[in-house]
Amino acid sequence: MRRIRQRNGKPNSESTGAEVADQGLANIGDERISGNVEETIARIREKLGENDDFTMRRFQVFGRYPAAMFYFSSMIDQAIVNRDILKPLMYMPAYLEDKPIEQDRLKSVLLDESLHHSEGKSEDRLAKLIGGIVRGQTIVAVEGLDAAIVVNTRDVDKRSIDTPATEQVIRGPREGFIEILNTNIALLRYRLQTSDLRVRSMEIGRKTASKVAVCYIDGVTNSDLVKEVQKRLSNIDIDAVLDAGYLEQFIEDNHISPFPQVQYTERPDKVVANLLEGRVAILVDGSPLALVVPTVFSQFYQSVEDYTERFLLMSAVRLARFVALIFSLVFPSLYVAIISYNPELIPTEFAVAVAGGRAGVPFPAVIEVLLIEISMEVLREATIRLPQQVGGALSIVGVLVVGQAAVAAGFASPITVVIIALTTIGSFATPAFNVALALRLLRFPLIIMAGIFGLYGVMIGLILIANHLLALQSFGVPYLSPLIPSDYQGLKDLLVRGPLWWMSKRPEFLYPRDKTRVSPDTMAQIKSPPDKVLNPANQSEKER
Amino acid sequence: MEQPPRQITAIQAAATLTSTNIGVGVLALPLFTVQAANSGAPLVTLLGFLLAFVGFVPLVLLGMRFPSQSFVQYSEAIIGKWPSWIGSACVIAFFAVLTAFTSREFGEVVITAVLTRTPVEVTVIVMLLLAAISTRKDITTFAYIHHFYFPLLLVPVLLIGALSLKNADVINLLPIWGNQPTFMLEGILTTAALFEGSFVIAVVIPAMKRPDYALKANFWGMLVGGALYVMIVVATVSVFGAEETSNLLWPTLELAKATSLPANVLERLDAAFLAVWVTTVFTTLLSSYFLTVTELQKLFRQREHKMFSLFMLPFVFFIAMLPQNISQMYATIKIVGRIGLIVTIVYPTLLLVIAIIRNKRGEHADAQQMGKND
Repeated sequence: MRRIRQRNGKPNSESTGAEVADQGLANIGDERISGNVEETIARIREKLGENDDFTMRRFQVFGRYPAAMFYFSSMIDQAIVNRDILKPLMYMPAYLEDKPIEQDRLKSVLLDESLHHSEGKSEDRLAKLIGGIVRGQTIVAVEGLDAAIVVNTRDVDKRSIDTPATEQVIRGPREGFIEILNTNIALLRYRLQTSDLRVRSMEIGRKTASKVAVCYIDGVTNSDLVKEVQKRLSNIDIDAVLDAGYLEQFIEDNHISPFPQVQYTERPDKVVANLLEGRVAILVDGSPLALVVPTVFSQFYQSVEDYTERFLLMSAVRLARFVALIFSLVFPSLYVAIISYNPELIPTEFAVAVAGGRAGVPFPAVIEVLLIEISMEVLREATIRLPQQVGGALSIVGVLVVGQAAVAAGFASPITVVIIALTTIGSFATPAFNVALALRLLRFPLIIMAGIFGLYGVMIGLILIANHLLALQSFGVPYLSPLIPSDYQGLKDLLVRGPLWWMSKRPEFLYPRDKTRVSPDTMAQIKSPPDKVLNPANQSEKER
Repeated sequence: MEQPPRQITAIQAAATLTSTNIGVGVLALPLFTVQAANSGAPLVTLLGFLLAFVGFVPLVLLGMRFPSQSFVQYSEAIIGKWPSWIGSACVIAFFAVLTAFTSREFGEVVITAVLTRTPVEVTVIVMLLLAAISTRKDITTFAYIHHFYFPLLLVPVLLIGALSLKNADVINLLPIWGNQPTFMLEGILTTAALFEGSFVIAVVIPAMKRPDYALKANFWGMLVGGALYVMIVVATVSVFGAEETSNLLWPTLELAKATSLPANVLERLDAAFLAVWVTTVFTTLLSSYFLTVTELQKLFRQREHKMFSLFMLPFVFFIAMLPQNISQMYATIKIVGRIGLIVTIVYPTLLLVIAIIRNKRGEHADAQQMGKND
């Protein structure tokens, strides 16, 4: 998987992305170790010896051959090194005692007969050895062997699997991803126990060498999509990938759009559901968030809960969520437009009440709304940063007290406060934080347009946004599919969530290979009347 | 030249036609038809629609005959380079003028009805900019835009039609053929001129997934548009009566003013109606502007139509500002509409006849697709 740049740090033109440049390793090139342990020690020490957590331990293999072991003590499991490497290499197996071991057989004896570890292999390139040590592997160099033994002894502390903090559900699994890639892949694998699940990994980041895994289901996901994802990922040449969000910004189609074209999630079950629809998931070591591509707009107001609860109720809930999404975008601008330009639209009694509330406010409606909106944004940002202990208290002070005081001081009208509060709460009802953020941002130009042109301006702004959405694509999938262009299978899962047995095919717009979700037999069974086994009529007949 | 991807479905093509045809013209339509034949206005509308309905069939047939070429390209194949250049230039110029007057007409509506203190130049340039920016997108997005806004066009018309039933009186519609109609033919031509945007089908056909469905798409797209036209005229005349309608500048807008939602949710509908109407005017503008720039691109054999979008803007804006006032504007629009009928209906019909006589035929779409896949 890992290949070292051959030419001095220059990006390799035929690079497939799995390649990582490391300045310390760049000048080693293709150098191989010799059978001389002292020389190997000197070379490795030259590269890594300045680190205090770098450990080199000399010992004698089978009491005869001088050897040295290298590792970073901070990254390995000491017990494994002692029990599975040091001990078997020091004690000769009983059946080999007193028999001379020829030099050319020594390597196979060590690897195949002595070593008690499943992840061990031999390697002779110095760059790979050093790269392995940096990753938490343990290297054993033996006098007379022209290859060292590499054993995976990595043990990095991790937090336990926890409830997803940002995507909580009432009904559904409680597991969320953690930072360690292998654990995350395990969380996917045990949910998808099929040989068709493919995990392809590569390393991105010149310094971080972050392991990136591309997951998809063979036979479901369109192979062109997988190729494109890998192509886009392999084109990334950056020094560090600290989170999946770094990758997202490189692989999206439109880099300046406010709308996210890649979905992220910390729920393994959500990733699995997306994989089964024919999408590709990207996981990064060190990030508890998986990316899912391609993404369409409708995914942002859907939640995993929609599918675990009864479809009628969740359809209604989803509609409510959609309304909240729309409200969070247009509510303040509509208010400004109606108050400033078309007060005749609202019923007279209400218009009088609004005018009365605004009587003491010195600013025009647009300034007032903008002021309150901005202070709301400040408040929201402050509540996220605050320590948890004071956060709750301050948000009450901020929202209730300041809001009340602003009205009393004649700074804002009570209806404005109500409108902004509704908008803010509406934006929190959106399950996806990133799209809520986009709409939050777009609200401001809309308010300004409403202040200048009234309802006409709001419509112009909305048309611009809608046109942008209609032109947007994620990996070539139109952003508003399955609405535009219409896809009958997809429409069943757009605004309402159709019953699972009704959505018998995978959505067409992802061009999946295997389209069937629910088998026709199940459909037939669902449509036939159920057997009423415990119906009193049936049971009493039996008793007779 | 690179062919656009064939992605547009028949439904999208039909939606494109309907939303192109329904636009700002609908606001003044009852006035024109009532002037032509007082209570016979619905009949005039129907006849005008039928004229356009039949009139655009040759264009669609022409498009299906040359399924992978645009209007400029196949007219060149039919009548030769220079005659077709003049013809195509006329078509392009006409649609530039149509774009200009559509934006001007709506600009006037907006400053009269809602933004009374805004200069008309501002509302016109805002609409034109909106259209110009949107024409920079490709033909597929163009069809998506029309498809997306289609419901927004149906809802207000149907809502106002249904709500006005409360005040409607059938007696206003009698006699159906009108009281001594004098300008019947003129009214029919004016109504037919409102359908000139249907020419956009010529741009859509080369990008359709199945060009052989174009006639079907044209049929349904025009039919829905025509039905809405007749409905609006019937609703307006039945509520106001022919005499009152002829005193109103934009009777459809007045109709929206006269209706209110049950339970008094919104006290007056006209501002809301106008706000929603922005989208339908936008789609009309988008179509004629898009037609102008894409055909210009073909005419000058450029790779991209994007640069023409902003290049045309000053010219279109200038034309839009030519009329001094509303009445002059409507007088000009009527004349331009008549000329437009020649450009959009007579000229393609001639082309079709010549194409049949000279037995010219374009490459078949499927053959071209197969060639692409090889």
